[in-house]
Amino acid sequence: MQKIIGFVRAAVMGLPVLILASAAYPQSDPPTTEELAAQISVLKQDYERRIAMLEAQLASLEAESRSTDRTDPPGVRTSMPARDNSFNPAIGVVLDAMVSEYSEEQSGIPGFQLGHEGERPDEGLTLGHSEITLSSNIDDKFFGNLTLGLGVHAGEPVELELEEAYIQTLPGAGLPDGLRVKAGRALWTFGYLNELHAHSDDFTDRPLPYRAYLDGAYNDDGLEVSLVLPGELYGEIGGGIFRGDDTPFRGSRSGREAWSAFARLGGDIGHNSAWRIGGYILDGEARNRSGAAHAHGDDGHGHGEEEHEHEEEEHAHEEDEHEHEEDEHGHEEHEHEEEEHAHGDFAEFLSDGAFTGDSRLYGIDFRYTWAPTGNARDRELILQGEYFWRDESGDYMLQEEHEECTDPSDPSTCEVHLDDITESLSGDSEGWYAQAVYKFLPQWRIGARYARLSSPDDADLDDDPYTLSTMVDWTNSEFGRIRLQYNRESFNGEDDDQIMLQYIMSIGAHGAHSF
Amino acid sequence: MKAWYTTLLVVTLGALFPLSAVAQEPVRILACEPEWAALAEEIGGDDVIVHSATHGRQDAHHIRARPSLIAKVRLADIVFCSGAELEVGWLPVLMQRGARRIVQPGQPGHIMAADHVEVMERPEVIDRSLGDIHPSGNPHVHLDPRNIATLADVLANRLARIDPSRSDAYRERLASFQSRWADAMAGWQKRTERLRGMKVIVHHKAWPYLLHWSGLKRVTALERVSGIPPTASHLAEVFELARNSGTKVIIRAPFEPVDASDWLFGKTAIPVVELPFTVGGHPEAQDLFSLFDVTLTLLEEVQDRP
Repeated sequence: MQKIIGFVRAAVMGLPVLILASAAYPQSDPPTTEELAAQISVLKQDYERRIAMLEAQLASLEAESRSTDRTDPPGVRTSMPARDNSFNPAIGVVLDAMVSEYSEEQSGIPGFQLGHEGERPDEGLTLGHSEITLSSNIDDKFFGNLTLGLGVHAGEPVELELEEAYIQTLPGAGLPDGLRVKAGRALWTFGYLNELHAHSDDFTDRPLPYRAYLDGAYNDDGLEVSLVLPGELYGEIGGGIFRGDDTPFRGSRSGREAWSAFARLGGDIGHNSAWRIGGYILDGEARNRSGAAHAHGDDGHGHGEEEHEHEEEEHAHEEDEHEHEEDEHGHEEHEHEEEEHAHGDFAEFLSDGAFTGDSRLYGIDFRYTWAPTGNARDRELILQGEYFWRDESGDYMLQEEHEECTDPSDPSTCEVHLDDITESLSGDSEGWYAQAVYKFLPQWRIGARYARLSSPDDADLDDDPYTLSTMVDWTNSEFGRIRLQYNRESFNGEDDDQIMLQYIMSIGAHGAHSF
Repeated sequence: MKAWYTTLLVVTLGALFPLSAVAQEPVRILACEPEWAALAEEIGGDDVIVHSATHGRQDAHHIRARPSLIAKVRLADIVFCSGAELEVGWLPVLMQRGARRIVQPGQPGHIMAADHVEVMERPEVIDRSLGDIHPSGNPHVHLDPRNIATLADVLANRLARIDPSRSDAYRERLASFQSRWADAMAGWQKRTERLRGMKVIVHHKAWPYLLHWSGLKRVTALERVSGIPPTASHLAEVFELARNSGTKVIIRAPFEPVDASDWLFGKTAIPVVELPFTVGGHPEAQDLFSLFDVTLTLLEEVQDRP
C-alpha cells in the first residue's frame, strides 16, 4: 500500500517536469564562428529586407482590396446571418430523466460520506438533472457561461443549483499564446470527468471515486490558469486557487483555502487513434463536511440552534424509516444492524460524521479513442480510466442520542440529549475505475465499467465497495440519447442489482465536444 | 578579442531584431480538410508546413477535438477551413484551447472558405427537426473548381501578409497555379458538357457545388434528414423516385455508410459510384487536379453505360 502511494505520488509530481522537458522548444547550441559570420551578413541585409517587406505589405494590401478576401473585425462571425437576436447568448437546455429499479431498499457506501450527487438516484420514475446553459462571447477578450442545474430529489422541492457561472479569457485577450484564465464557478480541471457535464458521460451514474470523493464533481468558486505548451505533442499545465466550499472541502473561513495543479499530455497514434494522460492534485481544508443526510443546514457556519432542530428532525425521520423497515423485514434487519456494529462504529463516523481536517486528492487519468475507419461517428472504441488517492485525516464528529432520566422508573422524566462524539481518524482511500465503450453501429453503443474503492483503514470493513456496470445506448441524433444500464453494486458484501433506463436530450445551442 | 566583440554585437542585435531569425521559419498551416491542405501546398511550397486535421476518408462534420489538434492550433500561423459551421463540432474547442491569437476570427491567419465564395442552400427555416443543418448554408464549397481559384488568391494574400519576406515566392506559385488551374478547368468544362442533365441520387446533401458546376440534376437524397440515417419509409419513397425518374447513378462519399445506397442498387440496379469527394478520397485523387479528373472520369464511366 505505502509503496503504491509512493509511486503514485512520484508519478503525479514528476509528470509536469516530464512535460516541460519534452514539450519545450529545442534550445540551440552556442553559435560557431561561421554561424556568427553568416548571422552578421543576415543582419546587414536586414534593413534592405525590411524595406522589401514594407513594399510587399503595401502590394498585398492593394491586392486585397481588389480580391474578394476580407478580414472580419475581431469577435464577429460573418458566416452567421444577421438577425435581431444575434447578440443574445446561446441558450442550451438538457432534459434528462430516468426510471430505475433496485434490489436493495437502501444504499450508501459504508465508510464514505455521500452528498446528493454522490447518492444512488431515487428509485422509480424520476427527473434527474435538467440543465439550462447560457453562454456567449462577452467581447473580443472574454467568454461567459452560466449553467443552472435543476435537481429533483424525492420529497423535496426542486433544487436550483448554480453549477457554473464563469468567465474565461478568449485568445484575443492579449495573453501569451496558449494561456487561458477562467474565473468564477466552474467544473474545474481534475481528472477526466470532472470538467464535463454529467449528461455527456458514457454511463448513467458517475463512477464510484467521483461519487465518494467529489460528490459527483468539484465546482467550487475560484480561478484557474492553464497553459498549452508549444510543441508537436499536446502538453498542458495549470493550476487554480479555490474558495474551499465544495466537496471534498467545506466551511471555508478565509475564502481561499483550496488549490489545484495539473499536467496533461496527449497525441495521436497513426491517423485514427488518439490518447491523453494527465496528473492532478487537489488540496484544501474541510470544516464540518458531512453527507447529504446531514448537509441541509450545514454550510460550515458552526452549530446554530436551527441546525440542531434540523438534525433532530432528521433523526426522528430516520427512526420512522427504521421502524417501517422492521415491519417489512423483521429479523433480517436486526441481524444487519448487529453486524454493522460488530465492525466497529468508526465506519459510521466516517460516513455519517462531520469531518474537519485536511483533504488532498491525487489523480491520474487516461483516455484512448480509436475509430477503425477514421470516422468516430460510424464505429469507435473508447478506453478510459482514472485512479485517485485521497490523503485525508482529521476529526469526525458524530452526534449520538442519549437518554437521561431524573427518575429511572418513570419514562416521562426522560429527556433526549445529543452528545457530540469526536474521533480522530484517517480517511485515506484509493479508488479507480476503468471503462470501455464501443460504438458498433452509428447509433448504437455498448459499454462496461468496473469501479472500486478501498475503504478507509479506520472503517475496518471486510469488503471494499465495487460496482460493475454494463450499458447499451441508442443515439438518434447528437442531440438525443436513450440508455439502458445495469449495475451490480457491492458495498461491504451486500449486492444491489440496479436497472436504469434514461433519456438525455438537448435543445438549443449545443456546445462543441472536447476530446 | 575581436571575436569576442563580434559575439557581443551579434547577441545584442539578435536580441533587438529577433524577427530576422524567426522570418526563416516555415509558416505553419493547419487545414481542416485535405482539399485546403492540398491548396496550401500548391501556394506555400517549401515555405510552409501543412497539416490536415482530417484525411480523405473522414467526414469533417464529426471529428474529435483531439489533443494533437490542440497542439497544432497552438503552433499554427494559419488555420484554413471550409467554415459555414462544417467544423462547428470541434474547431471552436481547438481554437479556444490552442489559444493562438493569429489564427482567431478576424486575424490574418483565419481563413474560412465559405466566407469568400457564394454559399448555396442557405436554409430559410432553421429547426433541429430538419437534422444537423448548417444555418449558414452548405459548407462543401470546394467541389466547384472556381471556388478553389478564389481561395488560392485569398491564401496567397494571407501568406504574403503573415510572411512578407517571401511574398514574391507565394505570388509566383499563385500565378503558376492559377494558369495551370485555368487550363484544367477549361478541359473539365468541356467534359461536363457531356454530363449535363444526368440524374443522380446522393446519399447526403454534400454535392450541390459539384452538381451546380457540372450541370448534374439531383433527384433526391437518401438521407431525408441531414445527418440522421435514412428511415425505411423515406427509402421507400426514394425507391419510387429512383424508378420513375430515370436516375443514372447513386453518388456517395467515401466516408458515408454503404448500406442505404447498396440497398437501392439491389432494388433498382442503378449503379453506385463512390466519388473521391476530397483529396485522398480515392487512390488516384492525390491532389486538387486529380480530384476533379477522377470525379469526372467516374461519372463519365456510368454515363457511357447502356
